[in-house]
Amino acid sequence: MIKTIIIDDEPLAAAIVQEFLTDFPQFEVVEVCQDGFQGWKAIQQHQPDLVFLDVQMPKITGFEMLELIDSPPAVIFTTAFDQYAVKAFDAMAIDYLLKPFSHERFSKAIEKFLAQANEPRIEEREGLNQLAEKSNRLVVRVKNEIKIIPIHEVTYFESEDDYISIHTPGGKYLKKMTMKSLEEAMDPGKFARVHRSFMVNLNQITQIEPFERDGYILKMRDGTQVPVSKTGYSRLRLVLGL
Amino acid sequence: MFSNAFSNPAKAKWIIQGAGIIWLLGSFLLLRFYEIDSSLALADAAIFAVIFLIGVFVLERIFGFYIPKGGNTWLLLVLPLLLSLAGVYGHRFILQWVFEDEWDYINFLKEHLYLRWAFLAIAEIFVALIAIVVSKLEQQEETRKREMMMNELSREAELTQLRQQLQPHFLFNSLNSINALVVSQPKKAREMVLQLSEFLRGTIRKDHQQWLSLEEELNYLKMYLEIEKVRFGHRLALDFQLDEDTKSLLLPQLLIQPLLENAIKHGLYGITGEVKITLQTRKESNYLFLKITNPFDPEATSPPGTGFGLSSIERRLFLLFGRKDLLETNSENQTFSVELKIPQLK
Repeated sequence: MIKTIIIDDEPLAAAIVQEFLTDFPQFEVVEVCQDGFQGWKAIQQHQPDLVFLDVQMPKITGFEMLELIDSPPAVIFTTAFDQYAVKAFDAMAIDYLLKPFSHERFSKAIEKFLAQANEPRIEEREGLNQLAEKSNRLVVRVKNEIKIIPIHEVTYFESEDDYISIHTPGGKYLKKMTMKSLEEAMDPGKFARVHRSFMVNLNQITQIEPFERDGYILKMRDGTQVPVSKTGYSRLRLVLGL
Repeated sequence: MFSNAFSNPAKAKWIIQGAGIIWLLGSFLLLRFYEIDSSLALADAAIFAVIFLIGVFVLERIFGFYIPKGGNTWLLLVLPLLLSLAGVYGHRFILQWVFEDEWDYINFLKEHLYLRWAFLAIAEIFVALIAIVVSKLEQQEETRKREMMMNELSREAELTQLRQQLQPHFLFNSLNSINALVVSQPKKAREMVLQLSEFLRGTIRKDHQQWLSLEEELNYLKMYLEIEKVRFGHRLALDFQLDEDTKSLLLPQLLIQPLLENAIKHGLYGITGEVKITLQTRKESNYLFLKITNPFDPEATSPPGTGFGLSSIERRLFLLFGRKDLLETNSENQTFSVELKIPQLK
């Protein structure tokens, strides 16, 4: 049996996927979820082989939900938006179905899944990380909870091996992504990479002080200090117009 | 062309004829002052006036269509000078030919030729200048009219575009719901097809300029809300609190719909439970106040009001009323509200 989960906030949209799936008896729908939180929990619990995922959903989008999963299952996106198609393939989706879709189109997606099911899937975290693009919030995991951090609350980011630690007045969170993809995703007018492993929120800087030779240090609103490299300083001067 | 420079062209078309008569009278009196016989003076003045009018006509034609610029400015002086010279010579030859026996008069013509030329030249230079000023004014008026027309056109296009941006997401998802209903609940599917058609017919109505009463607009919006209810099932609840005296107030079409759409979106995508959306209306000093409230999770969603929905409505309000203070948003305690003020024109 192929374990399948359907995640869509519109009951009827989930119903039609279920209806079309009855033609493929090897698929078993283990759960139908109405939002990303439920979906995330269901995926942890069932470890499904395939997920039908809507993009626009309550609380967190389908993309944001996928970011939270270490080894995401195979995904077929179902969405009414064309603009997400490219993103969907970036996220290593098997296929995407544009609503409303026909039975034939649905069957094609299933066949595509079946054809790829035996091949090993390439882990492509970088592609997933870029999904944060243009979003003004970050979605992170804290044990068994999902936490949504508005970007403007972030004091600074620090890279730690494969992770980025996100420092906010409310605490520190870890997210699996690289500094490079984070830098690409952030608005350069609001965040600046001041150091190889630090990126700061420009609005949270209270002071810039010289530190040792050639170096500078930033004092942030919450009292923490962030080192500034030489190139970081010239970049900072540029964005702040000093 | 001169006549167009006046606010009432019908009366102004006598301006040239009037100038001709004044010219005739002036010349006649002047000739009498030089003690020329009345009959001679009248003939002289009449022909002189005709020549003056020909000059005016020629200069108007030339400078009405061609404005000398830069190196060609001298034409403005030289052309009237030449024209008037030809004019006075022509005038003299005609009168010499008609009154060949009047020696005194012919002598007078000869002696005062240059004085006459000076008179005519000054008058014609003046005419040329006026012709240029008038045609400049006309050009400006043309440009202004064209600009106004272009603004109007682009405003129309923008309004249409703003209205249409509301559609695709809603439309595709509704069609998807119908697709799901067709087999399981064919009756419900048919009902939804009809509601969707009614709704779409409303958005492509031709008379978009016309304002509707609140009651009419809400009847139409109910169609939209019914569809949304089918899509989201029991999660969506609506509460209309309308003041009785607001039902007949007028408002532009399709202005509330995107606000409701916004509220539904932020409500449904912001929280996971049931979503209750409230619509309140009241009348206050010639304004229709319309308030839409929806729950939202301040922690989960990006702050509402930054999205496309509200900025497009703000833009529409600005295009319609030229004001930026008609939309107010407010978020507190997990509820987000947006209040719209619509000036009542009467």
